[in-house]
Amino acid sequence: MNLSKVFTKAIISSPERQQEADADFAVVKQVQAGDVAAFDKLILKYRERVFGVVYNLTANREDASDLAQDSFIKAFQSINRFQGHCSFFTWLYRISVNTTLSHLRKNRLRSFFSLEKLHEDGTNAEVLEQLTDKRGADRDTYLHELKEKLNEALQKLSIPHRTVITLFEIDGLSHSEIAEIMGCSEGTVRSRLHYAKQFLQGELGKYLRS
Amino acid sequence: MPELDQRPKVTVEDLLRLKRAERPVPEFWSNFERELRQKQLTALLEKRPWWQEIPQFLARRAYLPVGATAILAFTLVSVKYYAPAQLAQVQVENLPAGSPVTVDRGVTAPVASVSSPLVNRSESVQSATEAAVVVSSVPVSSEASSVVVELMPLLLAPRAAETPSARLLAANLTRLEQSEGDFGQNVLNARLSAPAREQAVASAAEELASVPTNSTRRNRLLAQYGGRQLNPEPAPPAVVRERLARRLGATETSDRSNRLAREIDTFSTPMPQIVALRF
Repeated sequence: MNLSKVFTKAIISSPERQQEADADFAVVKQVQAGDVAAFDKLILKYRERVFGVVYNLTANREDASDLAQDSFIKAFQSINRFQGHCSFFTWLYRISVNTTLSHLRKNRLRSFFSLEKLHEDGTNAEVLEQLTDKRGADRDTYLHELKEKLNEALQKLSIPHRTVITLFEIDGLSHSEIAEIMGCSEGTVRSRLHYAKQFLQGELGKYLRS
Repeated sequence: MPELDQRPKVTVEDLLRLKRAERPVPEFWSNFERELRQKQLTALLEKRPWWQEIPQFLARRAYLPVGATAILAFTLVSVKYYAPAQLAQVQVENLPAGSPVTVDRGVTAPVASVSSPLVNRSESVQSATEAAVVVSSVPVSSEASSVVVELMPLLLAPRAAETPSARLLAANLTRLEQSEGDFGQNVLNARLSAPAREQAVASAAEELASVPTNSTRRNRLLAQYGGRQLNPEPAPPAVVRERLARRLGATETSDRSNRLAREIDTFSTPMPQIVALRF
């Protein structure tokens, strides 16, 4: 077995992820062979996750939309260079994160919020119940305020810290995957994560209960 | 507030998980897809600049041909420019260790200057003049002289028609050939038989040994060639005469201009300040 394949196997630890990576690689092979329409499958599969990463880093839905589209275009243009050393998902995330980081660095002084609506569904209903006992309009106002404070606190973090905490806590990636995406060690990822959580605890203390 | 205290705790992780609920509405994705399609088509149609093609070109395993071509070109250039210099150096280095001859620095320099453009031209011209006659203050052995004799055509031939000094050297050699035909012929051809070469070298060595040690290069040259002038220059009296004539001419011109100025002053009304200054 090739050394890069061994490395890839080590990074993609769970069997589900491995199956997903294999399926993606098969589609990528089709695109590399000239089947351009096959790339649409990858877009449909990953557009929400890519948009989510970019949105959580920028806190602006218009910018997130543009940057997510740019990420897919870059991935499409560079698809022939993808050799399968890592999963397509990790590769696409890396492109998205790098595109977003360069955008944030260019527009460091120009940042404003344009937030999406907070959807209440089964996954977050419990948390929302824990957070507030208010009803009706008060509850909506409270949630809106909470959303703004949360995004403000995230935007106060430095770009690397924000990226780490977004990828780990919101997108649910592992330390090794984040390390590979960001091009740093797992220790650095853990350290940044720890610092970012401490900072957010200080900023959002009003909404926390211990 | 007892009610608040009874509620379960909320951590940062819980708050951050709320961010997952910030999702766009379904209509957003249709717009997203349409825009993405347009961008994709634009990306397919637009011609990428040439510098973005370089990494792809290199990725197509062009390393080997490009590297081989570069090495080949470098080798050819090196051989073309530096091979003659190395040849001459080898000849000089092949001298025996105890050889009494000291070869001038200028012996190798003109050889390099003939072929290499990297060498300073003015320096090489000067060293070519100096190297025309390789003279040493110490006695010359037959072997060393043969080296010098072999090197001389190599030094003089390529630059014979290039610089005035080289033309002068060539003229001197021709004159030498006319006056001392055998020796000159031997020097130029360097194809003497062994006994004849030894004889010629011995006579040259005697002649060189007779030159005083503390004399200048010019004196040594004059002594070597029996007081004949190899470099025809204007005689000193002629030069002096010419300079005197030039100076006299200059004095006459200045006198005329002074006289003219004085005449002009007499016609014009001089200002008091100027008069005061003049006196």
